[in-house]
Amino acid sequence: MHRRLLLVAASSLAIAGSPVAFAQGTIKVGFPIILSGAGALFGEPALKGAQMYVDEVNAKGGVLGRKIQLIPRDTKGNADEAVRVARDLILRDDVQFIVGTLTSAEGPAVSTIAKENKIVFIAPIPKTDQLTAPANLHPYVFRSASNTTIEGRTAAEIVAKWPVTRVATIAPDYAFGQDVTKSFVEHLKKIKPGIEVVDQQWPKLGEADYTPFINAQMGKKPDAVFSAVWGGHFVTFAKQAKPLGYFQAIKNNFIAIGEGGSIETARALGADYPVGIWANSYDVFDWPDAPAAHKDYIERVKKYTKEETPSSWPVTGYLAMQFLVEAIAKAGSVESDKVSAALKGLTIDSPLGKMTMRAKDQQANHGQFWGRTKLDAKYPFAVIENVTRIDPAPFMD
Amino acid sequence: MPEPAFLFGQFLGGLTAGMFLFTIAAGLSLIFGVLRVLNFAHGSFYMFGAYLSWQVMNWVGPGTEYFWLAALAAASAVAVLGVAIEYLLLRHLYKREELYQLLFTYALVLILADCAKIIWGTGQLSVSRPPSLSGSMQIFGTTVPHYNLFIMLLGPAIALGLWLLMHRTRVGRLIRAAVMDREMLGALGANVGSLYTVMFAVGAFLAGLGGALVTPVKSIVPGMDVEVIVEVFIVVVIGGLGSLWGTFLGALVFGQVLAFGILIVPRFSIFAVFALMAIILIVRPWGLLGKPLSR
Amino acid sequence: MSRRIPWVLVVVLIAMWIPWLGSRFYTFIATDIAILALFALSLNLLLGYTGLVSFGHAAYFGIGAYVCAILMKSYGVPFLLSFPAAGLAAAFFALVFGFFCVRLTKIYFAMLTLAFAQIVWAICFKWNGVTGGEQGLPNVPYPELAWMASIPGLGGLRAGDHFYLAVLVLVAVAVAALHRIVSSPYGRMLTVIRENPERAEFIGINVRLYQLSAFAAAGFFAGLAGALFGIFNRGVFPDFAYWTKSAEVLIMTILGGMGHFWGPAVGAMVLTLLNQEITSYTQYWPMILGTILIVLLFGFRGGIVGALVSLARRLRRR
Repeated sequence: MHRRLLLVAASSLAIAGSPVAFAQGTIKVGFPIILSGAGALFGEPALKGAQMYVDEVNAKGGVLGRKIQLIPRDTKGNADEAVRVARDLILRDDVQFIVGTLTSAEGPAVSTIAKENKIVFIAPIPKTDQLTAPANLHPYVFRSASNTTIEGRTAAEIVAKWPVTRVATIAPDYAFGQDVTKSFVEHLKKIKPGIEVVDQQWPKLGEADYTPFINAQMGKKPDAVFSAVWGGHFVTFAKQAKPLGYFQAIKNNFIAIGEGGSIETARALGADYPVGIWANSYDVFDWPDAPAAHKDYIERVKKYTKEETPSSWPVTGYLAMQFLVEAIAKAGSVESDKVSAALKGLTIDSPLGKMTMRAKDQQANHGQFWGRTKLDAKYPFAVIENVTRIDPAPFMD
Repeated sequence: MPEPAFLFGQFLGGLTAGMFLFTIAAGLSLIFGVLRVLNFAHGSFYMFGAYLSWQVMNWVGPGTEYFWLAALAAASAVAVLGVAIEYLLLRHLYKREELYQLLFTYALVLILADCAKIIWGTGQLSVSRPPSLSGSMQIFGTTVPHYNLFIMLLGPAIALGLWLLMHRTRVGRLIRAAVMDREMLGALGANVGSLYTVMFAVGAFLAGLGGALVTPVKSIVPGMDVEVIVEVFIVVVIGGLGSLWGTFLGALVFGQVLAFGILIVPRFSIFAVFALMAIILIVRPWGLLGKPLSR
Repeated sequence: MSRRIPWVLVVVLIAMWIPWLGSRFYTFIATDIAILALFALSLNLLLGYTGLVSFGHAAYFGIGAYVCAILMKSYGVPFLLSFPAAGLAAAFFALVFGFFCVRLTKIYFAMLTLAFAQIVWAICFKWNGVTGGEQGLPNVPYPELAWMASIPGLGGLRAGDHFYLAVLVLVAVAVAALHRIVSSPYGRMLTVIRENPERAEFIGINVRLYQLSAFAAAGFFAGLAGALFGIFNRGVFPDFAYWTKSAEVLIMTILGGMGHFWGPAVGAMVLTLLNQEITSYTQYWPMILGTILIVLLFGFRGGIVGALVSLARRLRRR
């Protein structure tokens, strides 16, 4: 019996071990991202943007004469799963780079794996400051996304101009929500000392029922709310909050960071969108001051995604891939150390204008679009009115 | 001291959450009471109820009064699914150890979750409130959506309906007899097999109904099955598995602990529920209204 | 079995040789299998030997993982202390929870273990300051194993390979201890209890005490497995203690066969390899796993090892 057992073991090992053929020449990039659940609202378009950039580069002959292959995997919005997927991409699919992860729980977890395997990892979306904080920084982690300091402080600048004194916050209880709320509150208290934080709610990420949090917050009678509930979670939140009279009670003095103004969110909510609140977005298709590069980019996205009004999230994946590919070109190599060196201080001509990966903290100066939301007869969803792109430079340090 | 209107609002929020959970947990508790099977797939039935009602709404027209029809259709379809599972598979495991039944229902969780992904994809879906209940009203200075009010009334109605079923019908009498002594019932010549099938269908129907009715309030996402089963599990453990009123009480307690937990221990209200469950398990392992079990 | 070949030793020796295949992937899979095998074997002390259906075994795996990771990462305690501490912490909680659980039987026992496991999960999920809360604790350090490079022949290996060899040795020692336990008079007493608790009670055995001690011992070994897994995974997450994890280890045990000491280890191996293989073709691994499980429940109650044993018997009889 023992012999059989061993035979089974040996043969099953042999099956599992059939090595994946390493396509000589192609540059493999693993792209772990949320493709299921509430986070997929942002994950799917981000992947499309990355794929579009890759297709465009490949159509022009690739980089260093080699084609790029993007290997997407679903992280399910779960750090444990993201780690598993990232290791699988590295060990089994032999990817040379990792671009991806969405939540601020996934990003730092995958950064550990990147460091261990000496694989350059560019985070296109996770915003927690911890990802590139001095204690966690290593040569292989880069962020093309905005971060919690930039986003929290920018939101504070906006709220400081409102005629309000009693501010409340609601944020998912994990790295992103915690960090961005902290930087918002700190900055707001600094620039407008009279402000009082009357309530802070911490639902879990993926909360299905926000009602008790919403009621509890309304009970504290804030006159403005800072929210870091994002993506499909914001859709659920807004659908539950609106009938309770939540937005009315604070006269729409509500700022939805975490891309509450993105077209994805607006489309998903449709008529349920709490029009009149303030929100941000990574991209807008109707940017009034758009440079020619952006107009051209929007046209390409339209064609690529076959959408009349293109999504705003493709730009995240697009930018991260652009950073990677231009760094590879600059390094003239796909070796991790050379690409890492090339990325530090690299400036790209992005659709959003010039963008630099700062050498000192390996963080891009990525600002966002902000404004009050309104209904526009041209579209069946809410859009941002008088949209402005706010330069992150003053808020980064 | 917070204002009474605010506390009342918090109470109503907890009540709504509790009554949603009761609708789902009642089925789990019933099935357990009769079949002695802890059905992990109950969460999957709930998820299928949600997806199916979305599907029907998508066919007949989103945002219309067909919502009610869709909910009933979805719940009935789930009941049929339940019958098929019970009749074709589960009943062959009744004579086996609990482990096999437990793992069987877990296998269903795995399979049904992937089926839902194949059929409806992995994104997030949502359904609008039916127009007749899309408004809201003021009660003691608190805004209460009509739909929530409906759920608060539906819970007790279901409880009453189940009580009548159990106490005023022949099937109900047999069911109660089965809860007390299975062998005895068989000896009396009752068709225990079909009784089990009926029970399973009723339980699945309630799970499906819960899933369908929750769609205007919560989003439909993969993973809602595994998530809800934890909540209903807590409800039945607190109240007493197999006891109708125990489950009702458990659902009420769950909703209120969650709602007021947020006021007292803002970050740890989920934990407050678990802590309550722990205390009850230690003091009364059979739940508040359950019956003690001998070894 | 006259010329008994120490097959276990052969397997260990073969496993020892895996790092020299030169593939990080093989080492990765082998580490995974070794750790999960210990986890499944620890569960079988309850399931197969004592007849207790625990649906919350992941709790002790999770406790072990968190204790070891927190000690190593947050307090800089060396692995040699953190590792046994993880096992002891898990055993302690198993003792506390088990005290309440063994008062119940059958399905109620299963439910109570599940409930306690969910409480452990909730603590891991919410205690932000210590466990990292929802996002877990990434960046768990590897134990200090650089000294292994100075051993002749081990110099050319990577850190992951060194860790694998350490895992292999530790798992082998733990499994040997488990084997000692089940083949001791104490272990035979557990089997007597499994067969007929009432009779065991009648002949003067303190059934609950035996069950409780087995529960704590199983928790101890699960904790050790968890500690290793946290390091292997380079991070610990609340999902380690979630109820689906408890279901997974049950499946491994059943798949391999709970009637045989090595069954769960075989189950852990087959399941891990199958998972790796199938997920490279389809994302619908859960559906396939569910189907395998149903076939198993209806067709092969003894699991893989059980089926092989009866096949061997039939062949020998011929």
